[in-house]
Amino acid sequence: MAALSVHQFAQCITCHAWSPDHSMVAFCPNNNEVHIYKLLEEKWEKIHVLQKHDQIVSGIDWSIRSNKIVTVSHDRNSYVWSKETTEWVPTLVILRLNRAALCVQWSPKENKFAVGSGAKTVCICYYEQENNWWVSKLIRKRHDSSVTSVAWHPNNIFLATTSTDGKCRVFSTFIKGVDTRDSTGSSSDSKFGEQIMQLDLSLSWAFGMKWSPSGNTLAYVGHNSMIYFVDDVGPSPSAQNVAFRDLPLRDVLFISERMLIGVGFDCNPMIFIADEIGLWSFLRFLDERKTASASAKYGSQFSETFGKFYGQSKYGTSNDTLESSRTRGGAHENCITSIVSLKKVGDASATSFSTSGLDGKIVIWDLQKQQDLEEFL
Amino acid sequence: MAEFVEADNAEAIITRIEHKSRKIESLLKQYKPVEALKTALEGAPPKTKDERCKSAYWIVVHRALMAIRDVDSLFLSLDPEYYDVLMKYLYKGLSTGDRPTCDQCLKIHEKLTERAGLGCILRTLADTVNTV
Repeated sequence: MAALSVHQFAQCITCHAWSPDHSMVAFCPNNNEVHIYKLLEEKWEKIHVLQKHDQIVSGIDWSIRSNKIVTVSHDRNSYVWSKETTEWVPTLVILRLNRAALCVQWSPKENKFAVGSGAKTVCICYYEQENNWWVSKLIRKRHDSSVTSVAWHPNNIFLATTSTDGKCRVFSTFIKGVDTRDSTGSSSDSKFGEQIMQLDLSLSWAFGMKWSPSGNTLAYVGHNSMIYFVDDVGPSPSAQNVAFRDLPLRDVLFISERMLIGVGFDCNPMIFIADEIGLWSFLRFLDERKTASASAKYGSQFSETFGKFYGQSKYGTSNDTLESSRTRGGAHENCITSIVSLKKVGDASATSFSTSGLDGKIVIWDLQKQQDLEEFL
Repeated sequence: MAEFVEADNAEAIITRIEHKSRKIESLLKQYKPVEALKTALEGAPPKTKDERCKSAYWIVVHRALMAIRDVDSLFLSLDPEYYDVLMKYLYKGLSTGDRPTCDQCLKIHEKLTERAGLGCILRTLADTVNTV
């Protein structure tokens, strides 16, 4: 089975991130705290609670080399947490936002991080040694609505964003004194905040987005059950729109240049693959279910949803809900909102990843021993 | 100026819709309802914001839609590329509240959802630009 382990951590999880060696996981249980769990003797134990935010934590990212955690919250602030002996010490980053922060991501070199917000702006934050201070530089007046997701290109300069105005944009985030000109290659002429590209493919909200490992392909999803693949990012991009028959996706992850996993409202990761000439298509669901015929599926889904409502009106985790989830047999029982790669430092490609969602579970998946996927890994 | 162009454009579209309507009538006379519906869905919805064009086009699609008797044979020959636009017209039909139209639309809706999935419905509901 593709799901290696399933663990129920909370009622609901807004976001999660792994420590560099994957022995610890940090997540927000849908409140103002971040919980850090460690696997001790085959059991997950809560070892730290990071309390500093006032409202729901909407984004967490854990840097691999510097071992720092960055968190953003609806309270419009961000903290960078560093481990000092046994405690996690927060440093406030003033983002200068007037709306909630929604997502955060460390840059590949970990000298900057990007924050998307409901204030139609993106913050690029970097550390100023002389002041011992994280500075936030804003990209303003480029988005017409909330920024739902940010993704760094491997070159550490390009940043892609998706927004609820339906557009996907790519910006240059070159900061003098932080980035060096020669490291940037083709992007060396661009200034901070310069828009490299804007794509207007989705007619509804755009959500999760990622670059392929090489940075040649960009993928993002729309709330209209579509996924968009963009090649040749620059002045003349080429794009593919792939419509699929199931509920919309929320987040995506490239496994290789030819395989992508999408997660979302269908509670089951979807596998997309590219053929020899680079045409993307939906292959199958990853989890083992949904084998019933279409009509039977909708019937059972409907009655199951009803069952859930009745169950929940009595008590959140009554037997009804547990039983219906068992009959459905999937690892996740509710919308999956995030997917995180479990790639180790130095690995060429990652075949395992974790997902979390509104059902409060974190599921670890592995793609090895799936014969039909081998050629795409 | 822009308004003038829009109006001019609308006239041209109306003429095209009338032409299409005649073609559909002749297909229906030859007992080819599926062909008629395909003709109606081709190039739909008209690329304009003009409500007059949209409602004129709806009358044409409605005529072809109501002529469908055998829904299964419709889907044997209807290409998947038409699924999204057909779904839009089914919701338009359901919004009229007219009993026979709703009956027919619900019947086709069931089969279309089986084939095209919930994603097709999502695309229909999410599209606020190319409305029918």
